[in-house]
Amino acid sequence: MSADQISIIIVEDEPEFRRRFAQIIDSEPTMRLAGVAANKREAQALIDREDFDVMLIDLGLPDGTGIDLIRNVSQRKPDVDIMVVTVFGDEQHVVSSIEAGATGYILKDSTPADVISCIRLLRAGGSPVSPVVARSVLRAIRSRMGGTPSNSNTLPPRSANAENNPLSARETEILQLLAKGMSFNEIGEILGISPHTVTAHIKKIYRKLAVHSRGEAVYEASQMGLLKT
Amino acid sequence: MPFRALRPACALRALSTLHPSRLVRLLALATGLILLAGSAAASVPLRKLEWTFVAPDPLAPATGADGAASGQPPTTFDLPLHWSTVEGTPLHSVALRMHFALDAVPDQSWALLLSHFSEGGRVSVNGRFIGAISAESDQRHVNWHRPQLLSLDPGVLVQGDNVVLVETSYGPGAHTLAGVEAGPLGELWNSYARIFFCEVIWTWSGAVVAALAALVFGALWFHRRDAVARLLAVAALCWLLYSATWLVEVMPQGVRLPLHLAAITALAGFLATLSIALLRMSGLSRRREDWLIGLYAAIGPLLSLATSLRAEPYLQLSWQPGLSLVLAGATGVGLFRRTRGLPAPPLLVLIAAVALVLAALLDVGSALGLNALDGAPAFDFIAPLMLLALATPLVDGLIQTMHETEAARVELETRVREREQLLKRNFERLRESERVKVESQERQRIMQDMHDGLGSQLMSALMLVERGAVSNDQFAQILRESIDDMRLAIDALTAEDADLTAALGNLRFRMEPRLRAAGMELAWDARRLPEEIGLHPDVVLPILRIVQEALTNALKHSRARAVRVVLMVEGTGDARMLDIRIADNGAGISEERVGGRGLLNMRNRAQKIGAQLKLETAANVGTTVHLRFRIGALVPGTRAQQTVLNTQAVIERARQQ
Repeated sequence: MSADQISIIIVEDEPEFRRRFAQIIDSEPTMRLAGVAANKREAQALIDREDFDVMLIDLGLPDGTGIDLIRNVSQRKPDVDIMVVTVFGDEQHVVSSIEAGATGYILKDSTPADVISCIRLLRAGGSPVSPVVARSVLRAIRSRMGGTPSNSNTLPPRSANAENNPLSARETEILQLLAKGMSFNEIGEILGISPHTVTAHIKKIYRKLAVHSRGEAVYEASQMGLLKT
Repeated sequence: MPFRALRPACALRALSTLHPSRLVRLLALATGLILLAGSAAASVPLRKLEWTFVAPDPLAPATGADGAASGQPPTTFDLPLHWSTVEGTPLHSVALRMHFALDAVPDQSWALLLSHFSEGGRVSVNGRFIGAISAESDQRHVNWHRPQLLSLDPGVLVQGDNVVLVETSYGPGAHTLAGVEAGPLGELWNSYARIFFCEVIWTWSGAVVAALAALVFGALWFHRRDAVARLLAVAALCWLLYSATWLVEVMPQGVRLPLHLAAITALAGFLATLSIALLRMSGLSRRREDWLIGLYAAIGPLLSLATSLRAEPYLQLSWQPGLSLVLAGATGVGLFRRTRGLPAPPLLVLIAAVALVLAALLDVGSALGLNALDGAPAFDFIAPLMLLALATPLVDGLIQTMHETEAARVELETRVREREQLLKRNFERLRESERVKVESQERQRIMQDMHDGLGSQLMSALMLVERGAVSNDQFAQILRESIDDMRLAIDALTAEDADLTAALGNLRFRMEPRLRAAGMELAWDARRLPEEIGLHPDVVLPILRIVQEALTNALKHSRARAVRVVLMVEGTGDARMLDIRIADNGAGISEERVGGRGLLNMRNRAQKIGAQLKLETAANVGTTVHLRFRIGALVPGTRAQQTVLNTQAVIERARQQ
């Protein structure tokens, strides 16, 4: 085991997929499988026990949703990259995972090469994102700012509610281009930056969304008297 | 002074809470107190009057303080003295002497009060001149109603007999000499003020009341065509005219007759209209009686006019009491009907009418010499009160109307609120049912989609596998296509407003690795696509399927090196068009495959949503699929908002009604 190997844990309840992902990682020399778990309880034990760099996690576990685990890990181990395994990569699952602290997602039927390159991209500081997810992230941020997502085709002026908008102008621009279906390369060309920087921006956006939603949760909790201030 | 302590606002509030009839009672009480105030006098009334005609020339000076110049013996009359002189009589000059005895010369200021002295004249006491009041002359007619107070220097008075001499003249008409008093100035001042109030201020007040009553009843008649109000307006006008003639005390001789005639006419009109109004209030409106009363009332003025007032003394004793009897009859009818519970004038009006009748009888008695009433007729005191009493039902009605209006308003508000609640409930129910409907439509759509798409694909896959007609690779291919199709459906359905731009982007995101793996370069040009295209999933899904089918065809059959997808939206407003071209540089589609299932599906889907689909293919040049679809100026979300706005408008309108 070499020090620059990426150590990975897998939380997946379906044995077929668990086996498949384990196999993909085992056959990749730069990666190491640090453990697998089939439910929340096992996963919690694994998280407490092991040191790891990446967590692949399925949201639908037999003893509850994986969102709690994501939140737990992202708070306790900020260096860990969390990657959600999803069947469709649909808005609802992905956005709530990002809000809980995930920085990437991967489709269950991805090819081995996709899985490996996705993990590499994450460790290199980037995040993959589909146009629909990019659009959803934009919408989530707009609705936080009090704008109605359905009939505002452009972001409201930043000065109007700059406090609530955690994104920089560049980040918003990147999300807008992503939502139009542009590839990282094309966005990099348009903005005059490298594709790598584009993915790094996306990861930053994810982090901001997670921190922002956490801040909101704390604020709401203190408003309800759940937290002592 | 407890009344002084009352703040004006309190007093006003106290007044406003008074019932009108109570207010009238209070007024009557106050009037009684004022009349009482002057009754305690310690002055000397002068009861006897010595009358001496002097020279027929009224301008000839009187001969002296004592003794008649003409040598005629004086005639002695008792005061009060009322007499009438027929029309056409020339001016008479008289010297009137009155005596009063004093035990001692008073040490304070004294005065002489002439309270009901219709004539003016030159007044002297013990031969010393003390004052002059305008008297009758050829040009001037006087008929004083106001009292006159003349101060006496203590030096003028002597112990024992004192003589008051009034030198005056009189012409035709009624005359009164009464209420002559000598006494301390302070005491007589009180009497003077009381009589001034009764004779002048009360008349003025009556005129003002009449004017206001005429205005109110006139307005009521004008706006509501109320017959009784019209009669009362005429009665009030008559009284206004009568009061006015009473208040003119000094006038040129030329207007004496017309003014007197106006007074008689006004009084007759007042009595007649009042009587008819009382009958109307009792629910009796017979034209014959009205005419009879009117005719009778007209007799007096007509006769007076015809005889130039010569008949007036006789009329006063016959026609005028008759008018009072008419009023008494109308009042009696009202009282009778009231005791029987039939429609009748309000109680306060009846009380005032009875008082008016009694006053009129008192005046008749006075004219006949049956009782000795100084000053103005009692009738003149009561008539303004009668007008007030007539106005009180109006005030009552106004207050009642205000109560009713308020009650109606409260009821209306309650009803509007109830209606509003109902409307809100209905609206919520409507929205709920709309939501249920939309959900069920959505479910149906998804069912239909699963049936047509994924379901049939899996079904045909099952058939192929059972037949053993597919290899592993083909089977994986079929399953992959099924999953792709499902992903398209999810992309189209996932957001609350399906966004075609992002959904197309997702398609590219998913297809690009696959095309690249097959050695095919994908160029995706979405620069002329707006940031968001909100369309219904029913439209988004077929478009996505067409594009996917075109890409899959290129991947499977074209053997192309590159695929270029150009997406754009052009035009504005309703003419906005979505334009998508998928072009490859492959082998083209052979004749027999042009009618194949994949292409047929594409055409069917385009037809279903009303889009144009063009296929251009040439061997070894490539294939271009060209899709055009009118998206118009569709803005998602507007319809739902409009529904809410309309409902609010409906509620607002209901509130205003």
